[in-house]
Amino acid sequence: MEINHLQAPPGFTDTAAAEATTEEYYLNMGPQHPGTHGVLRLVLRLDGENVQEVVPHLGYVHRAIEKMAENQTYLQNIHLTDRLDYLSSFMNNLGLCMAIEKGLGIGVPERGEYIRVMLCELQRIQSHLLWWGVLGMDMGAVTAFLYGFKEREMITDIFEEVCGNRLTMNFFRPGGSSADVPDTFLPRVATVIERLKRALDEYQTLLTDNIIFQERTRGIGVLSREKALSYGCTGPVLRGSGVQYDGRKNNPYSIYERFDFEVPVGQGGDSFDRYLVRMEEMAQSIKIVQQAMETFPTGPYRSKEFSKYRIPTGSYFSQVETARGLLGIYMVADGTAKPYRLKYRSPSFSNLSAINEMAVGYKIADLITIISTLDLVIPDIDR
Amino acid sequence: MGVAGIVTETIPKILDPLPGGRHLVNGIEFIVGWARANSLWPLVYGTACCAMEMMATGASRHDWARFGVEVARATPRQADLIVLAGTIVEKMGNNLVTLYQQMPGPKYVIAMGSCSISGGPFYYDSYSIVRGGDRLIPVDVYVPGCPPRPEALLYGIMHLQKLIRKEGRHNPWKVKEFETPPCIDIHSNSKKEWVEIETQKQAGMTTARERFKAENPDYVPYKAVRRPKDKFPEVPRRPVVQSGLANQDIYAIVHEVFPEVKQVKQENTDAENDKKLTSETLLEFAVTKDHYLSLLTLLKTHATLQMDLLLQVTAIDQHDFFHILVHLLSTRHGHKIFVRCPVAGEQPEIETLSHLYRGAEWHEREVYDLFGIIFRGHPDLRRLFLKEDFPGHPLRKNFKDPSRIVKRPY
Ligand code: SF4
Repeated sequence: MEINHLQAPPGFTDTAAAEATTEEYYLNMGPQHPGTHGVLRLVLRLDGENVQEVVPHLGYVHRAIEKMAENQTYLQNIHLTDRLDYLSSFMNNLGLCMAIEKGLGIGVPERGEYIRVMLCELQRIQSHLLWWGVLGMDMGAVTAFLYGFKEREMITDIFEEVCGNRLTMNFFRPGGSSADVPDTFLPRVATVIERLKRALDEYQTLLTDNIIFQERTRGIGVLSREKALSYGCTGPVLRGSGVQYDGRKNNPYSIYERFDFEVPVGQGGDSFDRYLVRMEEMAQSIKIVQQAMETFPTGPYRSKEFSKYRIPTGSYFSQVETARGLLGIYMVADGTAKPYRLKYRSPSFSNLSAINEMAVGYKIADLITIISTLDLVIPDIDR
Repeated sequence: MGVAGIVTETIPKILDPLPGGRHLVNGIEFIVGWARANSLWPLVYGTACCAMEMMATGASRHDWARFGVEVARATPRQADLIVLAGTIVEKMGNNLVTLYQQMPGPKYVIAMGSCSISGGPFYYDSYSIVRGGDRLIPVDVYVPGCPPRPEALLYGIMHLQKLIRKEGRHNPWKVKEFETPPCIDIHSNSKKEWVEIETQKQAGMTTARERFKAENPDYVPYKAVRRPKDKFPEVPRRPVVQSGLANQDIYAIVHEVFPEVKQVKQENTDAENDKKLTSETLLEFAVTKDHYLSLLTLLKTHATLQMDLLLQVTAIDQHDFFHILVHLLSTRHGHKIFVRCPVAGEQPEIETLSHLYRGAEWHEREVYDLFGIIFRGHPDLRRLFLKEDFPGHPLRKNFKDPSRIVKRPY
């Protein structure tokens, strides 16, 4: 699409106000832009440097995962969930596995549940570490990027030892996981947790207390509680706006109801609130992992395997709280080995749809911060 | 042509005839190659999962600055290397070609990951994928993996450096400028192509096998020993933790106002009336088009239910009609409600929900894009994911596009 810098491209609600003293213009940003975390494309209406309206364009990495799902068996679909939100791949695996378990009435042994919870929480920390580093980088603090990745790699090492992959895990199966964790798992997690605790304090001095950082996030990109609900935002974005909803607490799945953790909630819904919510979430995840380590049981890690997974006709739903928000998996089965329809309700999709409410009135540089605090994963939006 | 062209073409032409000039040219070429190889400036181009591993390669542990690949550039005009990290879809194709053409020569391309090599996990059944970056721009080094490890990408970079060092007058590998994309029609009968490749491969394999047998007459093929399958116990399912109002109560509330609204019959739960509704049941209301909007308004505004968050609007193709599926959540209580509404016809229509929930706007655009269902009163009904000129609506069950889709052969 050609963008004429003075003529409204599709999607804009109102054009330049007639009485405006300055001339407004349209600017294209993306799909190849380092600030948009991949291939997001935004078209902006600007007055000088002030953002008047934002229209996102999606589909630059729409890979047809939902169509492909209809031609693959249930187990073959697990690896595709990795590629939705690749920073929460364990949690995505878990979502699909839980839907299949619902359909077939499969139970999960204790050890299997513990493995699931621990890996999911470690991954939440890992994902937030990456977000933290990239947020710093987006605001010009490249040091944060290097620090964030240092700790992230340690967690990645654990994952690699457990399932042989660093990013796309494909590890959970209906009824447990595809393999047991090695003996070195717990000691390694313990060391990493110790390291992470120190790291979180380090981050506090590095970025959170940094006056420049605070100036650039406090009061920027305010998303009110009502707006956040109306747009269907979930995860840290919703909690940053003051709504106490966390899938792990309010709709507990797996064995989350057994652990003692808090759900951090922001006050005003600005970028800094979203930042604090995620930082606190890391601390809470550490808490969960520690509790799980204390009571980590022995025994089987998986329940009985089926030779064929044929799910009886009906519709099934499961939801998980990923690092970005609520991932819902709606599955329509027709009694065969392949799903009739598999719909992923991805959190980033709804979180992004509220961008216009957040960015209007701020500068372009603030828009980059706002996108960064939304923690978008574009393949999760486009699917 | 630029400075590089003068060094590699004009100067050699003058110097070559002179006595000893050949060695001088070789020396210059060596120095130019060495300098180029060790100062690659990559473009920031990551589309999907592989981009994470590319970032990890650039970050603290792996640190590609050690190889001179230091300054990742955001603009193609300052870069001379594209690492195709991630899936390339049709909509992105033109942008990639533009980026490539904007880069000053000599320029290099590394295809990282199976997606940018061949389409990878999305090769089959996908209607939007470009099966390989080399259908759009020439690729120099392929790094396989899904995603490749950072070490693999570093190896790819080192290999590229080796190639660059070798390039020159006698090996004019990259001297010619690239003008038009090698493959204009990115789909170009993917199916036919697949059959061709497969036949070639099979033919090659057969001859290779025969040759191998002839060369090694006493070869005994390895026979896989079947590992005894781990015996896992059968574990009973733990009951679901009920949150929010009980399904029966919600049903009663709705039934009071809309007596004709029924729970969708499900074979697995055989719940047809409120008595059999348990916490395991998925609460799904079947509603007709007439009551669709009023039911949802009730659910949103009801003081006890408080369905304040719209999770999704989607559709299911039931062959002769569509089901619109609306999914609501109460963040206060935690209960969920699904509403199903049938719509039929070639151009099915239904009211929009975007005035109730702002978030519905995008969900409805998605349904319009992928199913072709029209939402009356929608403020901005355009395609969301696909290009405006995409033929048809791909998530319909009868969608067929042999030029785009390669059917899974197994
Ligand atoms: S090759 Fe694999 S990891 Fe890389 S972009 Fe494709 S699906 Fe993602």
